[in-house]
Amino acid sequence: MALLEVKDLWVRYAGVEAIRGVSFSVEQGEIATLIGANGAGKTSTLLALSGLVRATKGSVTFAGEDITHWTTDRIVRSGLAQVPEGRSILAPLTVAENLELGAWVRNDNVAIQSDLDQIFALFPRLADRRRQLAGTLSGGEQQMLAIGRALMSRPKLLLLDEPSMGLAPLLINAIFELIQMTNSQGTTVLLVEQNARKALKISHSASVLEHGQIIRQGTGSELLADPKLKQAFLGV
Amino acid sequence: MRNKTPSAWVFGLVAIVVVLDSFFLYRNPADFDRLLINALLALSAFVTLHARLLSLANAGFMAIGAYTSAILVVKFSWPLAASLPAAVLVCGLVALIIGLPVLKLNDVYLAVATLGFGEVVRIVIVLNPDWTGGPTGANLSTGFAYALMKQAQSWMLVAFLGLLVYFFVRMSRSRTGRAFRAIRENPSAASTMGIPLVRYRIGAFIASALIAGAAGVFYAHTVGSLDSTDFQFGRAVNILSYAVLGGAGHWLGPLLGAGVLTALPVLLRDVVGAWFEGLRNFVQLPNILNGLALMLTIVFLPGGLVALAGLRRGRRTVSEAALSREKGPVATNPGPSKEDLLLVIQDLTVSFGGLNALSQVGFEVPRGRVLGLIGPNGAGKTTLVNVITGLVRPTTGRVLWKGREIHRLSAHRIAVAGVGRTYQNIQLFGEMTVLENVIVGRHPRIRTNLATSWLWLPVERREETKALEKALDLLRELGLSHLAQIPAAQLSYGDQRRVEIARALALEPELLLLDEPAAGMNEVETARLSAFLLDLKRAGLTLVIIEHHMDLIMKVCDDLVVLNFGRTIASGDPETVARDPLVVEAYLGRD
Repeated sequence: MALLEVKDLWVRYAGVEAIRGVSFSVEQGEIATLIGANGAGKTSTLLALSGLVRATKGSVTFAGEDITHWTTDRIVRSGLAQVPEGRSILAPLTVAENLELGAWVRNDNVAIQSDLDQIFALFPRLADRRRQLAGTLSGGEQQMLAIGRALMSRPKLLLLDEPSMGLAPLLINAIFELIQMTNSQGTTVLLVEQNARKALKISHSASVLEHGQIIRQGTGSELLADPKLKQAFLGV
Repeated sequence: MRNKTPSAWVFGLVAIVVVLDSFFLYRNPADFDRLLINALLALSAFVTLHARLLSLANAGFMAIGAYTSAILVVKFSWPLAASLPAAVLVCGLVALIIGLPVLKLNDVYLAVATLGFGEVVRIVIVLNPDWTGGPTGANLSTGFAYALMKQAQSWMLVAFLGLLVYFFVRMSRSRTGRAFRAIRENPSAASTMGIPLVRYRIGAFIASALIAGAAGVFYAHTVGSLDSTDFQFGRAVNILSYAVLGGAGHWLGPLLGAGVLTALPVLLRDVVGAWFEGLRNFVQLPNILNGLALMLTIVFLPGGLVALAGLRRGRRTVSEAALSREKGPVATNPGPSKEDLLLVIQDLTVSFGGLNALSQVGFEVPRGRVLGLIGPNGAGKTTLVNVITGLVRPTTGRVLWKGREIHRLSAHRIAVAGVGRTYQNIQLFGEMTVLENVIVGRHPRIRTNLATSWLWLPVERREETKALEKALDLLRELGLSHLAQIPAAQLSYGDQRRVEIARALALEPELLLLDEPAAGMNEVETARLSAFLLDLKRAGLTLVIIEHHMDLIMKVCDDLVVLNFGRTIASGDPETVARDPLVVEAYLGRD
């Protein structure tokens, strides 16, 4: 059974249908990707999965449980963590405090400490800056912090909303390598990206959203080779 | 894309309040004046709240107005027609004097400072019994006799309130009203649209004091006696609660709030008190209920009653026909003058707490050129744009605009001079529609003011129509016209970026600074943006672009400056810079 099963999901706000009957699933251990133009409904889908906006119709099943109507904190507790678009790090807190807050839902203090060490091993740049205020980090460092903070909740599924946005070319490659590394250590990943080419390259499965509906599904390499998609998103 | 029509809700709310107040007045007809005075006070609180100022000074200004007029009328035998403007003027002067220092404070600090002001006023009253009658006004030797004091009639209050409401209705549709809404949502962004923040805030504070002062004058001369305890902390909180319950987003809010909170607690006490003996004499009940209403509103309905009705100030509706009209030309302003160097950055250093965000950066932007500013995250690019637009002051060095130093000017003056910008972290006015956002961007180019709006001068309509058409042209140009009526916050990231560009172009700038305009766009959308920027360049606009999408940079820019750790590590034509080993090492990477 899939780790995440989304069935006929609808979301509307302020009279606008943002998502119209989206269905897809994410298998345990894979990197899945949602791609699509601006306003296609990618971010809305992720927000609905985390319970930050309410689905008007449809269901979300995560690890065998129907989480459609759960509150966000309960969803996070059950193992689904999101790195939001624009990072949303807590600027007036230090790097270490941001990471510790990521483990808010956990009570196993000893393991939290060792996870913190692991995050710092994963991102040595964050270790150097552990006492620095998060707001003073550069864009790339903030993105690392946001991912590290999400990992601190020990999620089974990590939702990433445009992790490469606003990053220098050099850092974009580093972030994608990091996503693959996180995945190879056992975390399932659902990725939303404007950088469709790079996202598809590292994904096992992918869905294409258009006007709130999924118009194409397949493996990353299948979609990468699809001439229609090339024209729509890759501009070649 | 239909917004729910506010009219049914508005009608319902107004009807409820009218019924409630009719019943209230039926039981105590003498409370008519009190109701109107509370409405005035509510409007005075609205003016400050609407400008995002949490002021508790209204009770103090009410007291100043009341006592000034009472003294003039009783001791100097002035007629009310003269004492009203005089007392109101005194309030305005006091507001100007205390406003200048106090308005530098924000939120809670401002509330505490203005609360202190109210207490000072009360203490001055208490300590000067010869003039004011002391704490309870009971000192008969001062001669605040009812027969002398009772000068105002209800019709005067009705007329005054009516005039005030007319002013608010007109203002809400004017350039000034729009600017206040922008300030309320995002003061810093509003200032880079050319809106003079300090002037608007002082203006709102003074206007609020004038209205509270007038309310005080009417209070003194309708009640016919004065008591300093009428102007205590409780009064300040009550005034605030009218505006908060009703909502600070629309002028109707405070009127509804005052209508409900004047009548409901008293009715509850009297009607329920008919059954429960203990309640009838519970004088504090209205205050407790007001406090409770304030608390519940803030928790459950932060926008107040008017938010329930979907009322927002000055929403603009445009016909579908207007939206689908043929697109006009790109609105740019190549500028009349011919200086070759539009912008010169000289030896610029900015340090934050000992760390240099920028060190000795210098370059020139000739008119009509496109400069690309690239470099790793944290290199200081955004800081540089913030310095140019007046949001950050340089530690050393100079910024010259057409040969004139601008690095000490405030943000709105730099915008008016012709420098427009967009933000890396989107700074739209989220609750305003896309169209309103773009019109706010044109603020300094619209030649109207409060007087033209109040007097219905022809220039008002002409300028507003022009602003609307220019805004619609820009939205069409950027492919956004189908989103014109939607609150900006509801748009996707990439669309919000385009709205920012439209808003910045509405200023008709000579130089446009774009901070990561393509972030959140896919490759096709980025290519479309590149083409649009090339159009702007062809139309004569000068551009400075920060961007990580190198394809856009290489396609659009004439010159590049590369920053790393706040220092320039390379500059020159794009081809050469992109091959520079230092740049490849620090920024581009080997792909």
